[in-house]
Amino acid sequence: MNILGIGIVFSRGRGIDCFEKALQEGWRAPSEVEIKGKKSFAYQVDPQTISDKTLLKKMRRADKLSRMAVLAAADALNNSGIEITNKKIGIITSTAFGAHVTTFDFLNDILDHGEANVSPTTFSNSVHNAAASYVSSALDIEGPTLTVTQFFFSFHSALQLAQVWLDEKRCDYILVGAVEQYGDVLGYIYDSKLKQASDGRIRPFNFTPAYHVPGEGAVFFLVSKEDPENAYCKVEDIKIRHSREGGNPALRQAQGDNIVQADLNIIDTDGMLSDESVYMSTVSPHIPTAAYSPLFGSMMIGSAFNCTAGALMLKKQFYYANPVMDNPRGIHLINNARCANIELIRCIRYSCHSEKAAIYLRKNH
Amino acid sequence: MQKDNAQELAQTRKTLKELLVKELSLEDINPEDIKDDEVLFVEGLGLDSLDAVEIVVLLQRNFGLEVKDLENRRDIFYSIDTLAKYIYENRKNI
Repeated sequence: MNILGIGIVFSRGRGIDCFEKALQEGWRAPSEVEIKGKKSFAYQVDPQTISDKTLLKKMRRADKLSRMAVLAAADALNNSGIEITNKKIGIITSTAFGAHVTTFDFLNDILDHGEANVSPTTFSNSVHNAAASYVSSALDIEGPTLTVTQFFFSFHSALQLAQVWLDEKRCDYILVGAVEQYGDVLGYIYDSKLKQASDGRIRPFNFTPAYHVPGEGAVFFLVSKEDPENAYCKVEDIKIRHSREGGNPALRQAQGDNIVQADLNIIDTDGMLSDESVYMSTVSPHIPTAAYSPLFGSMMIGSAFNCTAGALMLKKQFYYANPVMDNPRGIHLINNARCANIELIRCIRYSCHSEKAAIYLRKNH
Repeated sequence: MQKDNAQELAQTRKTLKELLVKELSLEDINPEDIKDDEVLFVEGLGLDSLDAVEIVVLLQRNFGLEVKDLENRRDIFYSIDTLAKYIYENRKNI
């Protein structure tokens, strides 16, 4: 399947041009937040970024998670230039934590006002499929809609499902995306379990200790079997190797893991694992490595943002420099932005159980 | 006494308008733009059935009033005026 359009909302703005600008400009400090009186950092989406009055007219009740998803999905459609009338379009949204901010608001409502006096709007926004249903309603899409909520590899699973829906001709196009929201509870948990970057700078190649700065945002791709001139790239494969399969060399070989020679490895190191040294097994002295998490923050769905960088690089045939270059292990990094011949990019993410997922993006035409 | 009542009603109307705009996320509307006798639902302010349930919750939380039998009490929800009068009359009985 091919990526025909991309929509993105992140801490530095909205739209693929904005993301490309961030890739060109490099790292910028996150905003300061306070968690239980302690100073901390987060890459938060500015409310101004998601205040599109025209698009959000139909969804005044939507929470931040749904608004980010709708804007990213709408931008992906616009970016593709595809006219969707009378087309079969599906929507697949992926997330790790879903509407957890609204869910906690709802629980607080019960504690504060009793279960008979909770807001029905807060309840309806707290269900996991709310964002996908808002996308469907705002964009008048009547095809199949599904939300993949899982802690690890939710975006990868969503992409795999999109491939299946296209293969079985269930849809002509699919809006497949990922969305995550930052909130006090998540900030507190991250702060308790993981190492916060004290200067607000994620160091993706430090591996251990790994430092995180929470992020939030949404990415949507419009994917299809069609291969127009302006497509970004092809999603050639999505592999997820679960831990129970890790020790089986025959299966690993069958899956082609580590055999395919990519022109670039993008690794999802962002401090979401307390020890990320497992990524050392995937970097190569012969293949450049990149990690763009310092631009958008640490998220379980960070792969979607890194894939966006990969898709842009394939379309533009251009390497964007790593935003943070600290490189204590001497890894072969992209140090300078430059034109390049890029055929294949591999985006890699590990879970805390050393399960591995990879998305292979290939140049079109 | 009559002046006090009028002032209390006016204050209730003002509070209600502010609460409606905030709790129902009426982003493009200023509280002062809502007329006292403007129809709240459908052709007026454009509120819907979910907003009606939100208003019930809002009355309970902010004024301690419980509206039972919503279907037969539509007259209360006609406008800011009718809501304010309902609040004014029923708060005295609490």
